[in-house]
Amino acid sequence: MAVELSPKMQAFTQEVFPAIIGTNRKDGSVEIVPVWFEQKDGSFWINGGTNRGWFKHLQRDPRITLLLIDPKQMFRWAQVEGRMVNWAEDPGGDHINHLSHRYLKTDYQGPRTGRIKIQLEPLRVTGSIDGRG
Amino acid sequence: MAGGKAVSALSPAVQKLAALPILVTVATKRADGSVQLNPVWFELKDGFIWLNSNTSRAWPKNLQRDPEVTMLLVDPKVPDRYAQIHGRLVSLIPDPRHEFIDHLAERYTGKKFRDLEADEHRVTLKIQPVRVTGAEI
Repeated sequence: MAVELSPKMQAFTQEVFPAIIGTNRKDGSVEIVPVWFEQKDGSFWINGGTNRGWFKHLQRDPRITLLLIDPKQMFRWAQVEGRMVNWAEDPGGDHINHLSHRYLKTDYQGPRTGRIKIQLEPLRVTGSIDGRG
Repeated sequence: MAGGKAVSALSPAVQKLAALPILVTVATKRADGSVQLNPVWFELKDGFIWLNSNTSRAWPKNLQRDPEVTMLLVDPKVPDRYAQIHGRLVSLIPDPRHEFIDHLAERYTGKKFRDLEADEHRVTLKIQPVRVTGAEI
């Protein structure tokens, strides 16, 4: 069941830094990559191309772990265990452009076609922000 | 990736990134197969990645059960430059006099590590890099 983010986590996830996501490959190994994210109404949203390895992994195994860490203060971090609950095409790249404005304050410069937006729901939060784990 | 051959040397770009006092993200597998991510102090030396932990933490326990590990280094100035390093735990070395964690603390904070808690035991983890990949967001 999805968990509700604490007020501290609500605030922390408005800060601007990439999330590091971990997904399961078919052979049991883990892939980790940094991605842009947005937290809205308690869900995490990320964006990628349909050809990305991590999206293929999520379609097979929807479990995903996010590491959020303040790049300026390394002791401020949270680990969010979650799962993909939904994904949809991002026709025209509106969502990646929205994320680009969150991170770069400018229009997205990369390709806007063949993109998808993915909704993740948090199942468990640990780390220093909530003071657990 | 299991059973892959060890890389003979990390590239100069990865070595340069690893020389910075940045955290490495360590991914381990829990018993139920889910992914655990932790930010960890590290040092690259003699071709190995060296980590240290309190023995009561979950991630070193995960590694003792399943020695395959994935690590991520992100360039702090250019976050879409990163190196993903797959590796394998090759040895677990007790650090009873907390010399290695003091050494890591010096690298990151310029000071020795805090006093250990009464029941705290430290251990050094030696990781053999097996494969390195990198890409952009």
